[in-house]
Amino acid sequence: MAGIDETIAGPGLGSRALTMLARWALVIALVIAWELTTRARVFTPFMLPSPERVLARIWDDGQAGDLFINIGLTLYRALTGFFIAATLGLLIGVAIARGGALGWFFDPVVSVGFPMPKITFLPVIVLWLGLYDTAKISMVVFDAVFPVITGTVLGIKSVEKELIWSARSLGSRERDIWPRIVLPAAMPQIFTGLQVSLPIAMIVAVVAEMLMGGYGMGGAMVQASRMADSPGIFAGIVEIAVVGWFLVKGMATLRRRLLAWHPEAETPTGV
Amino acid sequence: MTKIVIDKVRHKYRPARGKPVLALEDVSLEVRDKEFLALLGPSGCGKSTLLYLMGGFLPVESGTISIDGKPIAGPGPDRGVVFQHFALFPWKTVRQNVLYGLERQGLAREKREAVAKKFIDLVGLSGFEDNYPSQLSGGMKQRAAIARTLAVDPSVLLMDEPFGALDAQTRALMQSELLGIWRASPKTVVFVTHDVQEAVYLAGRVVVMSARPGRVKAIIDTNFDKTAPDVLRSAKFGDMVDQIWGLVKEEAIKAQMGRGT
Repeated sequence: MAGIDETIAGPGLGSRALTMLARWALVIALVIAWELTTRARVFTPFMLPSPERVLARIWDDGQAGDLFINIGLTLYRALTGFFIAATLGLLIGVAIARGGALGWFFDPVVSVGFPMPKITFLPVIVLWLGLYDTAKISMVVFDAVFPVITGTVLGIKSVEKELIWSARSLGSRERDIWPRIVLPAAMPQIFTGLQVSLPIAMIVAVVAEMLMGGYGMGGAMVQASRMADSPGIFAGIVEIAVVGWFLVKGMATLRRRLLAWHPEAETPTGV
Repeated sequence: MTKIVIDKVRHKYRPARGKPVLALEDVSLEVRDKEFLALLGPSGCGKSTLLYLMGGFLPVESGTISIDGKPIAGPGPDRGVVFQHFALFPWKTVRQNVLYGLERQGLAREKREAVAKKFIDLVGLSGFEDNYPSQLSGGMKQRAAIARTLAVDPSVLLMDEPFGALDAQTRALMQSELLGIWRASPKTVVFVTHDVQEAVYLAGRVVVMSARPGRVKAIIDTNFDKTAPDVLRSAKFGDMVDQIWGLVKEEAIKAQMGRGT
């Protein structure tokens, strides 16, 4: 009880630690439950290896170097795909928001493409591009581009006309309006699109690796599964969770830096 | 001397959905050089539309509007605008907002900084130069917006209910400060409001507009000495407010009725 009162009273040192603890409570509870379940032998160690065994496995993979090769490759595919998706998404989003012929072309393409499960195109991509990086990165781009497009279109469409009018009456030339006013004003929503897109890029990179094989975190897990290497499978899940967490946190930090002016930037959020 | 001539302007407002609405019907008006003119009327009477036409933000489709004898063609830095909701660039600090127009003019760096500082001081925002708009109160935001507009030295100041979003005390304070700034260096001001007291206090002439479609219903001279500290409680001020309120009230009722059906 005392702890809770303290949290309400304000940010003391104790309450800060408590808030941190509360944020991680679920994760900690999950690990404890995992540990207890394995100790109680609810499942065989093959079905559910203990946290120590999984950690030891991650350590061994690290020692052998495989861990870093796999993480590096997956990140390379996810991030390359993400940056291409971000660039393309921004360009297509601007085209749609501006209307015109390009927008007229892309608008229906996006409406049909966004809700479609992009994985259905995997056989086609494999047929055209093979099984290596180009194919995997293409899958990432294909999936991750849509949130950026919608974020950009919505961001641009919600720019207040008074902002543009102000800029014009302050002497802006027509070609200054987009780069100097519209895009900065739309930035919070564009960034939200990017924040949605990055985890998708990571997910698709892993899934593509699982389906196409080869090195990478997804490929390693499928390999472990084939070898009936149960600590390897669980090690993969933990590794992907940790890498994903760093990516999402990194994006949130970047947002707070870049969009310090945005009121939302001041409130701490989980994402 | 006449600064702005509005001649037989009609304007149709075309909503994205639904039928076009006649917002202004045959409006003719002359704004004198360096006068403080208030456009007063019930909401929806087209007073903001008229201001936006003068600003060049909306196309003049019927009739003409000219400034210094030249028909207006789009917005320009000769006409500064202050909006009700400030329209500050939220990603720029107060200083960067004020500098924006000066950068467009291509002034030298030191000169720009000096002018920006002068106008930030003038509106009483020194110490807040590096704050973002989201960190300022409503009154301070509007001060920043006024500084940004004045900094480019427009010959006409178009103000669209600039104090409409502020609380009563802040509004009173801002009104007297605006009047002080205008007296110190008079510009042609067109000030849109639906507040009769505000119009009488600030303006030398008050244009009362009719309910939609907007027409000029009456032009009242409100130019008397308002420098006395208790002018707002003087008999003359009260009479003038009553007289103008009488004119506005009819239109406000009409506007309400029109909206009710």
